Amino acid sequence: MSVSDLPDVQLEQAQKPALIVGVGAAVLLVAMAFVGADRDQFFRSYLFGYVFWLAFPLGSLALLMLHHLTGGGWGFVIRRLCEAGARTFALMAVLFLPLAVGISRLYPWTRAGWAAEAAKHAPFKATYLSQPFFFTRAVIYFVVWIGLGYLLSKWSMEEDQTGDPGMHNRMEALSAPGLILYGLTATFAVIDWVMSVDPDWMSTMYGLIFVVVHVFTAMAFLIFMASRFADHEPLAKVATPSRFHDLGTLLFAFTMLWAYLAFSQFLIIWAGNLKAEITWYVHRGLGEWSWVAGLLLLFHFFVPFFILLNRPIKRRKQLMAKVALVLIVVSALDVFWIVTPSFFPAPTIHLTDVLAVAAIGGLWLWAFAKQAQGRPLVPLHDPRMEEAVEHGA
Amino acid sequence: MSAEHSAPIIEPGQTFATVTDRISAIVLTQKTGRGWWLGFGIAFSLLMLFNLAITWLFAWGVGIWGINVPVGWGFAIINFVWWVGIGHAGTLISAILLLLRQKWRTSINRFAEAMTIFAVACAGTFPLLHMGRPWLFYWLTPYPNTMFTWPQFRSPLVWDVFAVSTYATVSLLFWFVGMIPDLATLRDRARNLIGQKFYGFLAMGWRGSAVHWHRYETASLLLAGLATPLVLSVHTVVSFDFAIGIIPGWHTTIFPPYFVAGAIYSGFAMVMTLSIPLRKYYKLEDFVTMRHLDNMAKVMLATGLIVAYGYMMETFSAFYSGDLYERFMVLNRWTGPYWPFYWSLIACNIVIPQVLWSRKARSNVSLLFVISLVVNTGMWLERFIIVVTSLHRDFLPSAWGMYWPTRWDIFTYVGTLGLFFTLFFLFIRFLPVIAISEMRGLVKEEAGGSK
Repeated sequence: MSVSDLPDVQLEQAQKPALIVGVGAAVLLVAMAFVGADRDQFFRSYLFGYVFWLAFPLGSLALLMLHHLTGGGWGFVIRRLCEAGARTFALMAVLFLPLAVGISRLYPWTRAGWAAEAAKHAPFKATYLSQPFFFTRAVIYFVVWIGLGYLLSKWSMEEDQTGDPGMHNRMEALSAPGLILYGLTATFAVIDWVMSVDPDWMSTMYGLIFVVVHVFTAMAFLIFMASRFADHEPLAKVATPSRFHDLGTLLFAFTMLWAYLAFSQFLIIWAGNLKAEITWYVHRGLGEWSWVAGLLLLFHFFVPFFILLNRPIKRRKQLMAKVALVLIVVSALDVFWIVTPSFFPAPTIHLTDVLAVAAIGGLWLWAFAKQAQGRPLVPLHDPRMEEAVEHGA
Repeated sequence: MSAEHSAPIIEPGQTFATVTDRISAIVLTQKTGRGWWLGFGIAFSLLMLFNLAITWLFAWGVGIWGINVPVGWGFAIINFVWWVGIGHAGTLISAILLLLRQKWRTSINRFAEAMTIFAVACAGTFPLLHMGRPWLFYWLTPYPNTMFTWPQFRSPLVWDVFAVSTYATVSLLFWFVGMIPDLATLRDRARNLIGQKFYGFLAMGWRGSAVHWHRYETASLLLAGLATPLVLSVHTVVSFDFAIGIIPGWHTTIFPPYFVAGAIYSGFAMVMTLSIPLRKYYKLEDFVTMRHLDNMAKVMLATGLIVAYGYMMETFSAFYSGDLYERFMVLNRWTGPYWPFYWSLIACNIVIPQVLWSRKARSNVSLLFVISLVVNTGMWLERFIIVVTSLHRDFLPSAWGMYWPTRWDIFTYVGTLGLFFTLFFLFIRFLPVIAISEMRGLVKEEAGGSK
C-alpha cells in the first residue's frame, strides 16, 4: 500500500476536484439564472439540490447520535465520517441564503394578499407561514444543527486527546435530547422549506418520511466512504465484513422503513380521496410523473430489498459501495419526485437541476473531505471500542 | 461507563444446575403458594364474570352495550386495540431483539411471548362479540359460497382478520417451538407419571441431539424473521381501521408509525407490570435484573416520545390545515365533554413517564411498577379518546351524541382482564416462565466473558 492510498491523502486529493466542480457548476448556474430569463427555474432547481444534499449532514448527525445512545460495533466504522458530516452545517447555512433570496419566487404564501385570505379560514397557518417567523425558525434550525455537530465533534476529539471516559458520558447524555431536537427541527424544516411550496396541502407523515430520507441517504454515503478506507489502520480493526454486514442490514431496514412510510401515506390519502389531499398524488402518481413513481417503487424498494437480503453481498465492501452509490442516486430521484412536481405537472428535467446538484454537491463534498482529514478514522479511547473490536473479528 | 451498563443481565454465581433448578422448581417442586391461589382465584372470578357478560350479550344483542349512533365503536374497539397493542412487546422482545442480537432479552422473552398470546386472545374476542351475530364470524373470511358473496377487500376490517389471525398463529408457534427444549427438561425432571406424560407429550420427542438443536435454531430464526414484519403489519392495519375513514381525528397519515410505537409502548409497560411482581414473588431477581428493568424503561421512554410526536403532528396539522372539522376535533378534545379523559391521557402518556429520564427513577422498582400502570392506563385512554371523541361529534350538530359504557361494557372489559390473568397464572404454574436452555447459554457466555 503506497502513501497515496492513505485516507488523508485521498481526501486531500478529492478536495480540489470537488471544489472545481462545485464552483464551476455554481458559476454556470448563476450565469444561467441571470442571462436566461427564467429566474424562477434557478430557485426551483436550487431547492431540489439543497434539500437533497441537506440529507447528508442531517443523516450523519442523526446516525451519530443514534450510535452514541445505542452503541453497537457498526457505529465505530462510520463515527468519524459522521462527525465530519456533522461539522458541515455552517456551509449549509451559507448555502441556504439563495433560498432566502428566492423566497418570493418559490413559495405562494409570500404573495401579496395570501396572508389576508388565509387568515380568514386558517389564522394559524397565516401566522406560521409569514416571512419573519419563517426566517426565525430557519435560524433556530441552523443554530441547533451547528451546535450539536460542534459539541459532539469537540468532545469526541477531547476524548481522543485526553482519554477521559467522562467525554463518552457527555456525548451520550447530549444525544438523547439531541435526537429529539433533530426530530423536531428536521420535521419543521421540511414543512417550511418543501411542504409549504403547496401551502394548501398537509400530511402528518411528511416529517418522518424526510427523516428516513436523511438516514437512508447518509447511510449509503457513509458505507461508500467507509469501504474506501476500510483497509487502513486503525479503521481496518473495526471495519470487518461483519460490520459491513451490520451497516448493510441497517440500510436494508431504512429501505423497508422508507417503503412502509411512503406506502402508508399513499394508501391513507388514496383511500380517503379528499380534494385537499389527493392533488399531491394526482400530480405525482398520474400522468407522466407516474413513470418516476414506478422507478422509485422498483429501485427504492424491490431491487434494494432483494439485493440487501443477501448476506454475502452485505459482507463484501466493494460490492456494497456500488449498491450504496446507486441508492444515493435513487434517493436523489426520490427527492426530485417530492419537490419538482409541485412546479411542473409533467416531468421535466432542466439543465439547472443537474447543475444545482453538482454545485451544492461539489461544495459539500469539498467541505466534507476537508473536515474528515487530520483525525484518526476511529475514536481512540471510546470505552466501548474494545468490545467492538473483539466482536468484529 | 455508567452504572447500568455494567449491571449484569444475569447475576453472578449462577451455574447450569442452579438455573435449571431455580426455574423448573417453580413448576415441579415448589408448593403452590397462597399468593398464587389468591391471584388465580381473583382472575378466575373475573373470567366467570366474562362468561356471564357474553352470555347476556348473546341473549340480548349489542343493545346492552352503550354504543349507539353516532358512536358505534365503543369499548369493543377500544379494548381490541388496547389488547392487541399490549401483545406487540412480546413479539418485539422475542423476535426483533433476537435479530438484533440483544442478549438481555433472554430472561424476559418467554413470559413476554406468553403475554402476547394471551393478550391477542383477549383482543380477538372483541371484534367477534361486536359483530352482533358472532356465530356468523366465518363470513369475514373469503370462501366459495352459494351466494357468491365476498368480503369487501377494500375494508381494513377484513385486512384485520388476516393480520391478527396470522399474527396469533405465528406467535403461538414461536412460543411453543421455543419452549420445546425446556418442556423436555421438565419431562426429565418430573417425578410423577402425569407430569412425565404431560410434558413428554408436549416435548415432542426432544432428545437434545445436535440435529435437534440445529433444526431448533433454524426454526427459531425463521419464525423470528416472520414475526417481525407481522408486528408492524398488525398494528399498521389496526391504524388503517381508523385512518382509511375520513373522520377528523382518524384520517391522518402519521397513524401507522404512531400506532406501532404506541403498541410497543403499552406492551413494554405491561411486561413491566407483570415482571416486577413475578420476579419478586418467585425470587427471580438474579435472572430478571435491574438491567432489564432499566432497558425496558428506556424503550418506554423512547416509544413514548414517538407517541408524543404523533400527538404533536396531529395538533399541528389541525391548525395548519385550517380545516374547520379538524380544528374543532382538537378543541373538542381539549375543552369538550371528554376533556378530563384527554388531559389524563396527556398526563399518563406524556408527562409522568418523563421521570424515566432520571437514572435514579429507573432503578426504583416500586416507582417503575407505578409508572407501568400509569402508561397502561394512558394507552387505554388514548384509544378511548380516538374512538369516542371523533365519533360523538358528527359533521352536523344535529347528529351529535354522547357515549358512556354500560355495566355490560365494563363487565366484558374487566372479564377479559380475568381471562388474561387466568391464563397467565396457569402459565406460571405449569410452564417454565424463563427460557431455561437459553439461560444456560447465557451462563456460559457470561462465564467466558469474565475470564
